[in-house]
Amino acid sequence: MVEASAPDLSVRLGSLSLPYPTLMGSGCYGTGEEFAPFVDLRNVGAVVLKSVTRKPRMGNPTPRLVHTPAGLLNAIGLQNPGIDWYLEREVAKFAARPCTVIGSVAGFSVDDYAYVCERLAARDEIAAVEINISCPNVASEGETFACSPNLTAQVVAAARATTAKPLIVKLSPNVTDIAAIAREAEAAGADALAVINTVRGMAIDVDRWQPRLGNVTGGLSGPAIRPIAVLAVYEVARAVRIPIVGQGGIETLGDALEFFLAGASAISIGTANFTDPRTPERILEGLREYLADRNLRSLSEIVGKANLGFASAHQYEGDEG
Amino acid sequence: MLDLPARVHAALVTDRREPAPGVFVIGFDAPELVRDTRPGQYLMAIPPSGERCATALGVYEAEGKRASILFFVTGKRTRELSELHPGDRLDLVGPLGNGFDLRDDPRDVAIVAGGVGVASVLLPAQRLARSGARVRFYYGARTARLLVDADRFADAGCELLLSTDDGTAGHYGFITDLLARTARQLPDAILACGPTPMLRAVGRVAGELGVRAQLSLEETFACGVGGCWGCVVPVARSSAQAPAFPQLDGESDAVNARICKEGPVFWADELRW
Repeated sequence: MVEASAPDLSVRLGSLSLPYPTLMGSGCYGTGEEFAPFVDLRNVGAVVLKSVTRKPRMGNPTPRLVHTPAGLLNAIGLQNPGIDWYLEREVAKFAARPCTVIGSVAGFSVDDYAYVCERLAARDEIAAVEINISCPNVASEGETFACSPNLTAQVVAAARATTAKPLIVKLSPNVTDIAAIAREAEAAGADALAVINTVRGMAIDVDRWQPRLGNVTGGLSGPAIRPIAVLAVYEVARAVRIPIVGQGGIETLGDALEFFLAGASAISIGTANFTDPRTPERILEGLREYLADRNLRSLSEIVGKANLGFASAHQYEGDEG
Repeated sequence: MLDLPARVHAALVTDRREPAPGVFVIGFDAPELVRDTRPGQYLMAIPPSGERCATALGVYEAEGKRASILFFVTGKRTRELSELHPGDRLDLVGPLGNGFDLRDDPRDVAIVAGGVGVASVLLPAQRLARSGARVRFYYGARTARLLVDADRFADAGCELLLSTDDGTAGHYGFITDLLARTARQLPDAILACGPTPMLRAVGRVAGELGVRAQLSLEETFACGVGGCWGCVVPVARSSAQAPAFPQLDGESDAVNARICKEGPVFWADELRW
C-alpha cells in the first residue's frame, strides 16, 4: 500500500468510483484474465470488456491486424458470442476479478443497444456500461451512430432508460464536430465519455495489389493517433461537464499527462499493452511521482489545466471534475 | 490445456550471430524460460525502445540457462531486435501458446520447416531424437544460404532432406514435394512450421499419406496472450482447441480459435481454413 500522504488518484465516472484513473481499453484486454499473469490487476483502475452484441458474431476474416509505422490497424469485427451466451456463460467469471469490470455494448439499431445494455447492466458483476457507438469495423451502421448527433442522442437516451448504472459513451474521431456529438450524448444522459475510438484507415499490399486487412478498412490505434485524440479530448472537455476517459496511443506517463491536462479525468490504455503488459503499472507509478514531486494532493488538480476553456465549461459545477 | 507458467522475464543477451544475411540468432540468459518452455512454444519480445508492439518469436534453443530466438529482419521491430548485443537487456513474455503435442511418443517423425519457421522446430527435433525416435528433417528455403543451422539438426541426430526454390541446395522445388515423394516409409507424426502456403501443402500431403500433422501457424499478432482476437483461424467445433462459441445460423461447423492462445500449433485435419 502507499503511504497516507500519497496523492489521491481516485476518480469518479458518474456514480462509479475507481481507485485509479487507468482503464484498460475495450477489445484490447480480453476479460482481464489474459493479462493476469503479467499485471497485478489490483493496480488497474478498471477493465473495459470487449463489446457484446445482441446476436453472436464471428467477426471479420483474417488478416485482422496490420502493424503500421506508429500504430496498429485492426479490423476484428466485434467477434463475440452474443448477449444470451455471454450472460449465461461468461459474466459470472468476472466476479472473481480483483478490479472493477465495465461492460461494453455494440449494436446495429437503437433497440439493439437498449436491449443489450439493459440485460448486461442488470448483472452485479458489471459496474458500468460503455456504449460503443463508434466501432469502425462492421459492415453497416457500426459507426453511423457516433457520426450522427441525432442517432447518438437516441442510442444514449434508450440505453439510459434501461439502467441507473453509469454509462460511458465511446465517441468516434471520424466526425467533423466531435464536440457537437459529445453534447448530445451528455444531454441524453451519459455519465462519462470515452474519447476516442480508433481512426479509420487502411493499408495495401503492394506486391499482391490487395488491401492488407481482410475487412479492407480498419481502425488505427497507437501513438499515430495520439495528437488526434488529445485534440478531441481538448475540444470535448470545453463542450461538456461530464468526465472524459481520454484514450488514443497512450504509452507513457507523459502521454497520459497530455490527456489529463487537456481535460480527461481518466485515461484508457489499449495498444500499449501489446508492447509491454507492464505499461499500466508503470504509468500509475509515474503519476504518483509526478504529483508528489509537485506537492499536488490529487490528480484532479491537473485535469484540464492546459485547456482554458475547460474551466469556463466547468465553473457552474463547483469542484466536480 | 495446461496451466502455463508464462511471465515477464528480464533476460541478459549473451550472444548474437548472423548465420545468413538478414537472419539473426540472439541468445540470452533466461533460466526460468528454459525450464518452463515446451517444444513449439513462443515468446513475445518486448522492443528495447519501448516502441510498439512486442514481436512473437518461437523459442529456438533452450538449454541450461540459455534460450535463443531466430528471425529474419523484415521491418523495424525485427531490426531493433537484431541490434541487440551481449550485455544488453531483452525483456520478454513467455512461454506462450500450446506447443507440439508429443504425448503419443512418436517413433518415426517427419519435421518440416520452411525458412525461419525452423525457429520453432529445433526443440521438438532435439527432444524426439534424444528419446530415440527417427527424425527426418525436411528443410526448405528460397536459396542455399537461407538453410540456416541445418547442421544443428544433423548434430541432434536428424536425417536431413533439403530443398531450395532456386535449386542451389538439395531438391530443386518445394519441400512439400519432397515430403510427398520420400515419405513412402510413413512417419507416425508430422510437425511443421513455416509460411502459410507451405503449411497448407503439408496439411494436404499429410491427409494423402494418412498421417496426422501438427502445424505451427504464422499470423500477425497484437497482444500474444489471447486478449485481442486479432490472430484467429477457423477450427472444427469438435477440436479440443475450439473455444466455446454459440452455433450461428447457417454457419459451418467452424469456430475461430486464437492462434496465440489456443495455438500456435493445430492439428491439420482440424483446421477449417
